[in-house]
Amino acid sequence: MTTSRSSDIALERKGVNTTRRNFLKNMSLVGGGLVVGLPVTGCANVLLPNAHESVLQPNALLQITSDNVVNFYLPRSEMGQGIYTGLTTIVGEELDLDPQQINVINAGLHEDYKNTEFKLQVTGGSNSIRTHFLPLRHLAANARLVIRQAAAQQLNLNLADIQTDNGKIMIKGKALDYGEFADYANTLPFPEDAPLKDKHEFKYIGKDNRRLDGVAKATGTAQFGIDVDFEGLCGAALKRCPIMGGTVKSFNDSDAKGMPGVKSIVKIHNGVAVVADHYYQAKNALPKLKIQWNLPKTLSKFSSDSTAADNGKGLFKTALDSDNATNVFEKGDGLTALKHAHTVISAEYWAPYLAHATMEPMNCTAKLADNRLELWVGCQSPELAKNLAAYYAHVPAENIIIHSTFLGGGFGRRSESDFVAEAAAIARASNLPIKLCWSREDDLQNDSYRPASMARFTVSLNKAGLIDSWTVKRAGPQLMPYAIDNVVDGIMPSILPNSLVDWMSKAGYRLYNSLLVDHTSVEGLYEDYDAPHKSSDHVTADPGLPVGAWRSVGHSYSGFFKESMMDEIAALQNQDSVDFRLKHLKNNPKLANVLKVAAEKAAWNKGLPKGHYQGVAVHASFSSFVAQIAQVSVVNNQLFVHRVVCAIDCGLAINPGIVKAQMESGIIDGLSAALYGEITLQDGVVQQSNYHDYPALRIHESPEIDVVIIDSDEAPTGVGEPGLPPIAAAVANAIFAATGTRLRSLPLKLEG
Amino acid sequence: MISFELNGKTTEVTVAPDTALLWVVRDHLKLKGSKFGCGMGLCGACSMLIDGESTRTCVLPMAAIQGRKVTTIEGIGTPDMLSTLQSAWVEASVAQCGYCQSGQLVSATALLRKNSNPSDNEIDEAMSGNICRCGTYPNIKKAIKQAAKDLGEDSGQLQMVAYFDPNSIQQEA
Repeated sequence: MTTSRSSDIALERKGVNTTRRNFLKNMSLVGGGLVVGLPVTGCANVLLPNAHESVLQPNALLQITSDNVVNFYLPRSEMGQGIYTGLTTIVGEELDLDPQQINVINAGLHEDYKNTEFKLQVTGGSNSIRTHFLPLRHLAANARLVIRQAAAQQLNLNLADIQTDNGKIMIKGKALDYGEFADYANTLPFPEDAPLKDKHEFKYIGKDNRRLDGVAKATGTAQFGIDVDFEGLCGAALKRCPIMGGTVKSFNDSDAKGMPGVKSIVKIHNGVAVVADHYYQAKNALPKLKIQWNLPKTLSKFSSDSTAADNGKGLFKTALDSDNATNVFEKGDGLTALKHAHTVISAEYWAPYLAHATMEPMNCTAKLADNRLELWVGCQSPELAKNLAAYYAHVPAENIIIHSTFLGGGFGRRSESDFVAEAAAIARASNLPIKLCWSREDDLQNDSYRPASMARFTVSLNKAGLIDSWTVKRAGPQLMPYAIDNVVDGIMPSILPNSLVDWMSKAGYRLYNSLLVDHTSVEGLYEDYDAPHKSSDHVTADPGLPVGAWRSVGHSYSGFFKESMMDEIAALQNQDSVDFRLKHLKNNPKLANVLKVAAEKAAWNKGLPKGHYQGVAVHASFSSFVAQIAQVSVVNNQLFVHRVVCAIDCGLAINPGIVKAQMESGIIDGLSAALYGEITLQDGVVQQSNYHDYPALRIHESPEIDVVIIDSDEAPTGVGEPGLPPIAAAVANAIFAATGTRLRSLPLKLEG
Repeated sequence: MISFELNGKTTEVTVAPDTALLWVVRDHLKLKGSKFGCGMGLCGACSMLIDGESTRTCVLPMAAIQGRKVTTIEGIGTPDMLSTLQSAWVEASVAQCGYCQSGQLVSATALLRKNSNPSDNEIDEAMSGNICRCGTYPNIKKAIKQAAKDLGEDSGQLQMVAYFDPNSIQQEA
């Protein structure tokens, strides 16, 4: 941040309104400066987390201090998606200040940081840019206006004469820092209706500017949760039941106690924790614990490779065959349409459980003292984390402080707060400040997994070969019952006895699942294409393995199912895959457009190298529209993905470089899932344990990727997730083109 | 007591000889740039240069470090003094979540030390031990090629830090 003060121009300043000043002083605003928040929010007198000592104020996302530091408290979690840069760019644009000069601070917990769509402080749903685009522009534009107003009044000039340029007030060729006027600006009423810039005036939005967290992340100085350290901090490791949901029946810690560095061994709600001087010592002592478990009944019976009708895939198939389905969407009269159909095509698809496998294993630091709990954690939902920690540490929620860090990957995993609950429970039981760290094995075997899913499509065509009815039924677990189970402990009023809360927590799953369908269960299965008759059903098939949001949520499997089905229909009709899709996208012009753009960029089925084949898939999710064309070859039953062309319409691209990087990220993540990703269970025990048996795509397997971003003046939409859903189908469809084999199960296995 | 050179400075530690180098560097010597990812030498997040070779340190016992030269990300460059590769990395906005990036930079530094103009295949080979779950691979390739070009034009350095003072470290939260 530039802090040079320009004082070579004689300023005749008007005095600062003392009444207003005293008021501010009484509110503990000592250092002066302009502190503003979104005008729409409430105004609890709560100190800002991470605020500078001398500038504290409620409702604040943005601070301009009198010594000319511009602080932006980042309300969303940076987990790679680029929000640290994106949101700051939006602020800088309307503030007329180079985003590189804004001091970005990972915000703690505060009402003002709530996600306006979720009404909770949560980062997810690819909605950060979309929901903050206008509010942050208004905030910054109003802040710039009040600085100009202050300058005009202090310098006795007309407002129209006060222009700005990159954080400076420009007067008669002289440049004065915004900070010079921050104190006075604080005495003025904060404007509410400063005009916003037109697109053609943008200096930073739409430009390929460098990421603002790039230097910290290239030098190892970016702080992740796992890097938090302070004098006296102990390391903690937790041994959990090999089958998720099990609890400790009894344990013997006599062998573990004597291990080097061990300070405390405590039982908590889901296991036995070792606390030691260092994490590696705690981890080394874990195998010495002897624990008897109460095993969860349902999950213990499930084995992925079972061929029984009520186990393995049979459980899902039986559910599909049952009459228990709940209708989620209905348009027209599909049943009648089927009776009159010229052609009926039916197919079933499968997608397995998946783990998130973020690079940074789950971790949380907890320090409990004087009925006050401090947490250091990189997470997607600090508000839920706070409430759960309150329950497990037996501390009032208002006595919890959260220090936010960068997240070493999220992908939805860090929207869960199970690891925060564990850290809080261990801190309470051991009475020591601890950093709980998970091993990779803990991570892969105690996830909130992407739900395994099976879907059956029945599609009828009319005489002209166009889709007349589109019917799809999906069987699998639902997210919401687990989400409810996971948060009930944290949202019930503290006046309720814990036993009652525990009961409600267990009842949450049953209550929800018997009454409602979570829309994420079926999202993406039926929306994109034109058909006079549509129907979508859900039926719960749930072995009892906890599930949660995994990058793109329901779209992560529905993209594969729907786009494989569409390809099957086109192939059976001897229609070109691109043309056939376009015929059914008359009511979805943006999806049609990205498909045309991708087909042109990829030179669809024109002049491919010998032995190379293409497959296409399109999918709309998180308000964005994506088409992908994969180019593959199959040699000796081995698949090579050479190139992927991707076109995205995400409205206005705030930072095209980050949009491109998120498409590459979604494609590569999606390829890991498409080619390798599979969590399997044996008698309820997750079989995978580390990157050798749960591989992630490596650099030599990563295809060449070409991204085209549609030029758009419309408001920005999501990019963190929409790049993932089409890729598995694009590759599977290319494999069909290459081999004539239709792969209907993920991961894609050529020999099977 | 085990003695080795860490980022240009002779360092002595008293730990069990089977303690992994990663934990000694992170927990005892408080350099947090090298990361724990898998504990099995599979992901590369813990990579450090050992006598110039990119090495997985989460499975490397201290007993094997006696007398050797260890360079961590902190010993390659700092925010105020980026190596040529780090500059290229920042320019290409390689990092996404950033967690694997120290390891990636260590492996890329080792590559460029041996090969001033690596081909795509040579980059693949040298970097395949480092997983990035965010999929920054296309930009990693771009940054390595740019750095090779800059170094070839004699306008940079692969390592900016001859001696690293641990007290100089400041984390950005």
